[in-house]
Amino acid sequence: MRKIKFNKHYIALLPFVIIVLFYELLPLFQLAFNSVKPEKGVLTLEYFIRIFTTPLYQVAIINSVRISLISAFAGIIVAFFAARSFYSAEGKLKKIFTMVLNMTSNFSGVPLTFAFMILMGNTGVLTLAGKQFHIKFLSDFNLYSGTGLILIYIYFQIPLATLLLLPAFTGLKKEWRESALILKADGFHYWTRIGIPNLLPSILGTLSVLFANALAAYATAYALILNNYALLALQISSKFKGDVRIDKQMGGALAVVLIFLMVLATSINNYLIKKNVKGRNLV
Amino acid sequence: MKKKNLGSHIFLIIICIYLLIPFAVTLVYSLFTSWDSILPSGFTLRNYQLLFTDSQFWLSMGRTILVSVISVAISITILLLTMFVVVVEKPILGKYVQFVCMIPYALQGVILSISIISLYSGTGSFLSNRLFMLFGAYSILVLPYIYQGIRNNINAINAEMLIRAAQMLGCSEFKAYFFVVIPNIIQGVFVSALLAVSIIFGDFVLANNIAGNNYQNIQVYLFTKLSVSSGLSSAIVVIIFAVVFVITGSILYFQGRKKDLKQ
Repeated sequence: MRKIKFNKHYIALLPFVIIVLFYELLPLFQLAFNSVKPEKGVLTLEYFIRIFTTPLYQVAIINSVRISLISAFAGIIVAFFAARSFYSAEGKLKKIFTMVLNMTSNFSGVPLTFAFMILMGNTGVLTLAGKQFHIKFLSDFNLYSGTGLILIYIYFQIPLATLLLLPAFTGLKKEWRESALILKADGFHYWTRIGIPNLLPSILGTLSVLFANALAAYATAYALILNNYALLALQISSKFKGDVRIDKQMGGALAVVLIFLMVLATSINNYLIKKNVKGRNLV
Repeated sequence: MKKKNLGSHIFLIIICIYLLIPFAVTLVYSLFTSWDSILPSGFTLRNYQLLFTDSQFWLSMGRTILVSVISVAISITILLLTMFVVVVEKPILGKYVQFVCMIPYALQGVILSISIISLYSGTGSFLSNRLFMLFGAYSILVLPYIYQGIRNNINAINAEMLIRAAQMLGCSEFKAYFFVVIPNIIQGVFVSALLAVSIIFGDFVLANNIAGNNYQNIQVYLFTKLSVSSGLSSAIVVIIFAVVFVITGSILYFQGRKKDLKQ
């Protein structure tokens, strides 16, 4: 009797299992499988060898990692100061600030790229202003380049980084600050010895989210330069787009490299957090 | 102390301005005929007029709304059923459900879209239908947000206790879950559904990679207009953000109201 009832309840899992299997897990297995499947035979690493020996793919990987790292670090630095200011600010401004963060954290992809085009593109508002007032940095700025991408990526990292970092600052107790003051620590010492070490797990966690976020960003870059710039996400997608013959193997291998980079970032981050926590326990 | 506050205020204001500039410029750009010098000239609503009389715009808007409603509904349904089993039968399953639900959050659009394409395209079965792939992909894309909404709300009301109480009063577990637990969490789930809708409104990758021109959503529509008319494009960006702002605003409103109720 008990057993029959048991089974009936488990039927409720079925729709979830079907959808997840067909649209998440099986596709991922297929992707990994494609990356090691040769035209003839059983297993090959040919595609990975080709990735690491072809200049285009090498540059794509390097560019992706570089842009992601720079934008992630820039994002976290701004977010740190923003969050710090947030907790020493008062009144209505805090409310406005959270609202602006929430609103602009949705501003990414094609719309964001378009906004930057009319700001700093070839005939952008700032570009023209730069020409009129002879501000070389603005008039000569090339948005359709790696530097342009970094600029746009930093923009979308800031709201995300701040939203992720804000809750961590509530963990900094007022008493610590007061104790530090009594022991004659100045602001700089307080932050380097107490504030930042305590925030470190959250800072590192946020950093890895930002890195992955930039690494997998596609729409922003695609809207800006189509496929005319070597970037991992662009390369992967181009292998599956209709205009060229679909190259599932190479695309699969590139996707595996992207996933590997994400896992690597998360692992490094977890390792650092562990090390940091251990170090603190010793003291 | 006062001085420090001032510095913080100034920094926050600078960040706000920086973050708002791209949007503000787009808004102004959409309302003027030309912007060749420092100030724009020739106020006009022509861009919006053109946009609102373009049937492609309404069609792509309709498609985006349709795909959000259906995929979010699918996601909510399958997760509510799954969480029933997790709560009533096997809490240990929760760990695995969470793991599976968080994968799309890490992978994001590019990998998700191409993995689905690489499995189904060219197989010739009904699963290789672009629309099936797209709706399935969106249901997976919003899974993390819906999952967190449902789980947090179930934890907050202590669902297990409610079900046991209902059982004591002679209710079956299934009935207790659907008539006691779900009505209690539905408002919270609604908030995460709104968040999921705003995610789908912002999606370009899935729609472009999987469906392309077969199912032009609002972002793909914007993309096709980028090279045609910057005036029209700016109006589309403003409309997309008006929609997303309204959604985000209502999320904040509902969350705030929940907090008020608790206090």
